[in-house]
Amino acid sequence: MAIVNLQNITYKYPLTETPALRNITLQVEEGEFVAVIGPNGAGKSTLCYTLAGFVPHFFKGELAGSVEVAGQESSQSTLHEWVLNVGLAFQNPFNQISGAKYTVFEEIAFGLENIGVPREEMKQRVTDAMKLTGISDLADRSPYSLSGGQQQRVALTSILVMQPKVLVLDEPTSQMDPIGTREVFGVIRTMTEKGMTVVLVEHKVEWIANFADRVIALYEGQILLDGKPGEVLTSDLLVEKGFGISRYTSVARKAMKLGLWKRESLPVTLEEAVEGFTR
Amino acid sequence: MNDRLSFYRKKNSPIHTLNPFTKLTLTLALIVIGIVGGGYWTASLAVCLAIAPLTIFSKLFGDYLRVAFRLILPTAGFMFVMQSIFIPGGVTELFRIGPFSIEVETVQRSYLIASRIFLMVSAFAFLLLTTHPSELMTDLTRRGLPPQFSYVLISTLQIIPQMQAKAQTIISAQRSRGLDTESSFMKRIGLLVPLVGPLVFGSLVEVEERAIAIEARGFTSTRVKTFLHDIPDTHMDKIIRWALLALIIVALASKIWLS
Repeated sequence: MAIVNLQNITYKYPLTETPALRNITLQVEEGEFVAVIGPNGAGKSTLCYTLAGFVPHFFKGELAGSVEVAGQESSQSTLHEWVLNVGLAFQNPFNQISGAKYTVFEEIAFGLENIGVPREEMKQRVTDAMKLTGISDLADRSPYSLSGGQQQRVALTSILVMQPKVLVLDEPTSQMDPIGTREVFGVIRTMTEKGMTVVLVEHKVEWIANFADRVIALYEGQILLDGKPGEVLTSDLLVEKGFGISRYTSVARKAMKLGLWKRESLPVTLEEAVEGFTR
Repeated sequence: MNDRLSFYRKKNSPIHTLNPFTKLTLTLALIVIGIVGGGYWTASLAVCLAIAPLTIFSKLFGDYLRVAFRLILPTAGFMFVMQSIFIPGGVTELFRIGPFSIEVETVQRSYLIASRIFLMVSAFAFLLLTTHPSELMTDLTRRGLPPQFSYVLISTLQIIPQMQAKAQTIISAQRSRGLDTESSFMKRIGLLVPLVGPLVFGSLVEVEERAIAIEARGFTSTRVKTFLHDIPDTHMDKIIRWALLALIIVALASKIWLS
């Protein structure tokens, strides 16, 4: 059953002529992990903001079509109620820290204070969420004293503790080093294993291939491809349109031309490439 | 990077245990009394006889001195010099600097303004050194101040250490690309130019992203807010606040009746 239902979404930011999204129709099933890829200006962040209700409640502009999550229509809701349906985390972990709290524990509780969760329940939910994301040991630290990866995990936990039905992540690892990336993907994997619906915008295609159920390629505000990771991430169209593709796919594609890659399908991950070249 | 990004310093002192609203009232009382007290020395006396002892009592005298010498004194000193030179209206010439005549009356008025600025910033520095923004925001919100106002207030109070941290990052980035930041004073002043653009535009982007981040956590929710911690508000806090309010009223009344 689709928990997210976008119908014919076209959106223009204020004072712009060109739509950032054009006629997007998209359904996401409950518990599905959907990755979104695309070059700069493809509309990835705008899609995230639309799902999370910031379009049109925060950014205004012209929105046509309907955004439905769990049977509720975004335009009929307020932003502060919509955030209970869809949680949003984005690139810069530093800017996601409220600046109003002294410790990580308080920072994570900030959202629950805002929505009036009783104190004892609040403490329990924060404790559980921190355990889930593996940051219990950071509880008494200042959010500003953490590494980028730790800060991003705090930002994710701050959203997860609100218990949204859908989690939208806009390039959460783009400013992370490999260790930070692994930490953040660890949290995402835990959430998907728990059955949470996740929409992730990400450029690191090897990670996507390992985790996502489905990949959507956005190009100039439209859906260019939508399918299984192995199909979408190795499509010739991605190369044609200037998408970043996996180095293993590039190598195998060249090897295929030289007759060194015998398989019909191209690899995305290191493991697939090794298997293809050795067997 | 400063791991707190605020002026707050945690210490075990009686001042730290006061309710944030009591400390805010104390701050306002010091400013009002120092300003309406009249006389050239009232503001300076308020700093020396009230704020300095309070910071000693809070075990933060060293931190206060650092803030005073690095931030408050240069600001107040700059204003004193500029006002003394450029504001006309004096009669008795003290001395001349080129085409500018420095008059006794202008210097006196400049000192009055500079000392009041010194007092105001010192009073808020005392508040920020002894009160974490989180506690101040929680307490003000609990007392009925709209959270948006509380948030703007604490964001404003934190802006200096945050801008310092951001500026330091930009300087480090520019230095790593060959910018000479350790030469003469005048050259360093000139180097502020390439710093201003990234600092201002970066801050604007940051404001929008932070607004999205706190909105994503239900900041503007109309539900009744709850709080993770209670902020203690003792009987002593209430007595101190009433006493400070009485002092403010006496200061204002004496200003009205004696002028």
